[in-house]
Amino acid sequence: MLRTTVALTALCTALSGALPDAAEAGRQDDTLRVALAEEILNLDYNYTTKREYIIMAELTDATLFELDPETQEFGAAVATDWNWVDDTTLDVTLREGVTFHDGSELTAADVAYTYNWIVSEESEAQAKGTIERWLDNVEVTGDLSLRFHLKSVYPLVLRDMAQRVKLRPEGAYEADDGSIDESAMASDLIGAGPYKVVAFEPGQEVVLERFEDYWGERPAIENVVVRNLPDIGTQQAELMSGGVDWMFKVPLDVAESLGNTPQATHLSGPDLRVGFLVLDAAGYTDEEGPLTNVKVRQAVNHALNREEMSKFLIGGSSEPIHTPCHPAQFGCTEDIPAYPYDPEKARALLDEAGYGDGFRMDLWAYRDKPAAEAIAADLEAVGIDVNLRYVKLASLNQARAQQEIPAYFGTWGSGGTADTAAIARVHFSSESDRNLSGDGELTETVLAAEKTADPEERKRLYEEALTTIAEQAYWAPLFSYSQNYLVNPELDFPLSPDGLPRLDESSWK
Amino acid sequence: MTMTDADPAQTDPTQPHAARSAVAATDDRREALPPTPRRLALTRAYGHGGLLIGSTIILLLILTAIFAPLLAPHDPFAQSLSARMLPPVWSEGGNAEYLLGTDQNGRDYLSRLIYGARISLMIGLGAASIGMLIGVTLGVTAGYFGGWIDHAVSFLLTAQLALPGLLLAMALVFIIGPSVWVVICIVGVLHWTYYLVVTRAATQRIRSLDFVAAAQAAGSTPGQVIRHEILPNLVSSIIVIFTFELGIAILAESSLSFLGVGIQPPMPSWGLMIAEGKQSMFYRPWLVVLPGLCLFALVIGANLLGDGLRDVTSPDGRN
Amino acid sequence: MFRYILQRGALALAVAFTVSLATFFLLNVATDPAYAIAGEDATPEMLAQIRETHGLDRPLASRYFDWLGGVLTGDFGESYYWNKPVAELVASRAPTTIALALSALSVTILISIPLGALAALKPNSWADRFALGVAVSAQAVPNFWLGLIMIILFAVTVPIFPVSGDDTWLHFVLPAFVLGASSVPAVMRLTRTGLIEVMDSDYIRTARSKGFRGMPLLTRHAMRNAILPVVSVLAVQLGQKFGGSVITESIFAINGLGRLALESILGSDIPTVQMLIFVFALVFVAMNLLADIMNAALDPRIRIG
Repeated sequence: MLRTTVALTALCTALSGALPDAAEAGRQDDTLRVALAEEILNLDYNYTTKREYIIMAELTDATLFELDPETQEFGAAVATDWNWVDDTTLDVTLREGVTFHDGSELTAADVAYTYNWIVSEESEAQAKGTIERWLDNVEVTGDLSLRFHLKSVYPLVLRDMAQRVKLRPEGAYEADDGSIDESAMASDLIGAGPYKVVAFEPGQEVVLERFEDYWGERPAIENVVVRNLPDIGTQQAELMSGGVDWMFKVPLDVAESLGNTPQATHLSGPDLRVGFLVLDAAGYTDEEGPLTNVKVRQAVNHALNREEMSKFLIGGSSEPIHTPCHPAQFGCTEDIPAYPYDPEKARALLDEAGYGDGFRMDLWAYRDKPAAEAIAADLEAVGIDVNLRYVKLASLNQARAQQEIPAYFGTWGSGGTADTAAIARVHFSSESDRNLSGDGELTETVLAAEKTADPEERKRLYEEALTTIAEQAYWAPLFSYSQNYLVNPELDFPLSPDGLPRLDESSWK
Repeated sequence: MTMTDADPAQTDPTQPHAARSAVAATDDRREALPPTPRRLALTRAYGHGGLLIGSTIILLLILTAIFAPLLAPHDPFAQSLSARMLPPVWSEGGNAEYLLGTDQNGRDYLSRLIYGARISLMIGLGAASIGMLIGVTLGVTAGYFGGWIDHAVSFLLTAQLALPGLLLAMALVFIIGPSVWVVICIVGVLHWTYYLVVTRAATQRIRSLDFVAAAQAAGSTPGQVIRHEILPNLVSSIIVIFTFELGIAILAESSLSFLGVGIQPPMPSWGLMIAEGKQSMFYRPWLVVLPGLCLFALVIGANLLGDGLRDVTSPDGRN
Repeated sequence: MFRYILQRGALALAVAFTVSLATFFLLNVATDPAYAIAGEDATPEMLAQIRETHGLDRPLASRYFDWLGGVLTGDFGESYYWNKPVAELVASRAPTTIALALSALSVTILISIPLGALAALKPNSWADRFALGVAVSAQAVPNFWLGLIMIILFAVTVPIFPVSGDDTWLHFVLPAFVLGASSVPAVMRLTRTGLIEVMDSDYIRTARSKGFRGMPLLTRHAMRNAILPVVSVLAVQLGQKFGGSVITESIFAINGLGRLALESILGSDIPTVQMLIFVFALVFVAMNLLADIMNAALDPRIRIG
């Protein structure tokens, strides 16, 4: 401990020497400096997917609806009123006095343009796949009123509108000569969010300034500078020298060590991300393989010490789970069979299944190496000879697409959506290569839950699906994640229950 | 302990660095013909400090690797999540049960370091052998037959040197799947140029000598000539290169493992251990320092042994 | 001489293209860029969208020939990840790596030539042994580990230099040392050998008879002759510095070509990897060619071969 303290003190002096009033810097010029490891290369969230871009879009963009993180309900934002005419027709009324960053007034024509553009043939937007699943077209019915025509019944319309489509002024994706330019907003963004973009150096820095004509509650801090610092070591050094006020995705050990110094505060917030093992029950890798036997899959479930992994390796607000979804998600009932940690029982089940001498299994993983190793060690302890393949995400995904993976340690963040649909569809629909269950009936149940708007019916369908998954032990659910932040002690950064960092809600203490 | 590098061949900058000193080694070998009495070599060996230090280090590490199960106080794979990241015994919070502390999964660091010697040596010896097989085959063939074969081999050599090994390693690990054997093969396949350059030059030289011409005239096939006349004369320089390549292969494995494309967890590879410790090296520097020191010791041992062997096998080695 | 250079230049280009072909197929077999672009929580819809956007749904061979055709007209394509022309990307990162490579080479020269001279002055002396010790150690130390140790020692324990980054010249000191150290053994040994050889020659005996001794003799007379082969080796070493920049730049978070290469490989950004490997291979063969020419200029016999 003494050595640690000495090293830390040295680190602190080193860094504070460079910038004398380090911790005060952010507060003094009312600038929140944010470190992101992932490079920001495109400011238009309609064309991007990763979480860092969601964080950016929270600052710069407006949407028709917004999630209330407390109630997990989607409610008014740019839209003030909405009304289902029938199952596939939605009327929306817009707020008066909303302006874009370029000063123009937001009208129904802008909203219709944005949505129709995204589902159009030529848009190539990242948002297209999600939206075109249900949206046929949008019709302008008045200055501030619109009508959405759906292709089919879809329960998550408000979610998709709140999270996937950022509003743009009419003609945003057209060049001056009228030709199409789908990257028009990538660096010269016109949004209607609480901050506007002042300067943007792709992969380096985004400078934001409070938008004084913002229609909602204006943020407390005037300036936000987002710096791309891919190296976690650099981020730490910058945090301690005052070059950065906020960093996230901090490994637990680093967060705890640095959080103990006066230069940084460690915050641990909830996260909708869950970790789990997916087992090849369908026998894609080996038709007669051990994992096709339900007893073997149940043995795997009994073999894992989820409590210890959650407590020591993930930490913070992480909890062990036995559901194939985050318990905070709509429809994710915990009232399904569980397999408590019991290595003896696991061995007995393996014995019953005819694998008393164990078997060899490739286990793939791409993140949280200590957890992956802990899983492997637990499985080894009950006699399964695990060959851990810790690879880059792209490699894992590709091997899975080629059906070469018998078991993998996966995680899923549900895009911050507190609804079981956001995790169930992608993992159990028949066209998804993540679905190793081979269970067609299960797929039908999961998809049926997205074809009705009745919440009780949806709950019932999910309970049915989750019970099947648990009984058949298609997965071995592990734990929920927690999000570790390190922030300037002067900064008041409220944590959202859904785990999405909302930087516009920060203020100085 | 001096160097035997007073040789013009070594100043040829067209050859890669590693190959140059080996060219020197073979050319020393030329002076070594006819072979010096074994006794003389032994006398030189005893007086050679570097050779003694190098062979002692290598011997100790080989013994550590062989007797790892007896030496290691714990099972290197046994985790204890509640006892993770313990500091070494001399730090506050240290525990005599774990002399060098524990890693991020609560595994005994000392035991993992001891087992790490096995991995490094296995990969070093395996990869240096594979490299030898490829390099010597190509080198002798190119040197003996010359002509278009020689041009083709030269082209292969330049392409190999220009190709980033990391990329090749990543792709191969993905396609074949990682295991100790795959890493051995990959490192071996990436490290044959040194053997090639040396054996080609030496073969060209030996081929022009009288006794080879005599053998050819007597009706020996190329295979026979290579086996009986050429290879025996290459043995001592190949051994010297092998020792150097041992060190180079061990470093290559550690770099690959450090970047996450070599040895897979939970195997205790020193390079992988450094990568695992890197994240918290500001607070727990020993996690990075200790495996690095082990690597350093092993490689310096191999290099001193190589230097020493080169000096000893050549009578002019101590001028 | 001119023909010789032409021949070697053609060989260099052939090597660069062979390497690019090999890497293209290896990369495409090994990873699917769509997954890397889409990130952790990719849905099948996103992947399909990305494949269409980047033309990844087309056959491999036609993509390679498209790439080759582009290169021949000076167009290296567009990065999947950065969404801008690869040539622009490489051009913007190149100065940093060139600066790093040159400063690393300076470190090599500053350490190895004085050390080599010191060793050559009195072979078998303690100074010679010390120089040899330095060379043997530098050869045995893992480069990535040396980088981390330098950070722990000189950026954290005794905070003189920044931990990482590339904003000021101070940021380059540690990386240049680490990258430069790897070439010290080769250059030091060559300097020492060259000097010992020259010191035995007739004209040095003449100089000695005129009363020159020790360092003045070495630096004024011997070094001039011994240095030429060293210079041509330095050219080769400079070429290797570019490849060596991959690990060093990653450890010190320097935004140069090496780090770009590693990130592009890990992120399956094939067009970027393709151009970088092409550039690295060209630099490597060009530096070797330069060394060959210097050598040929020194030794007329080589020209024939």
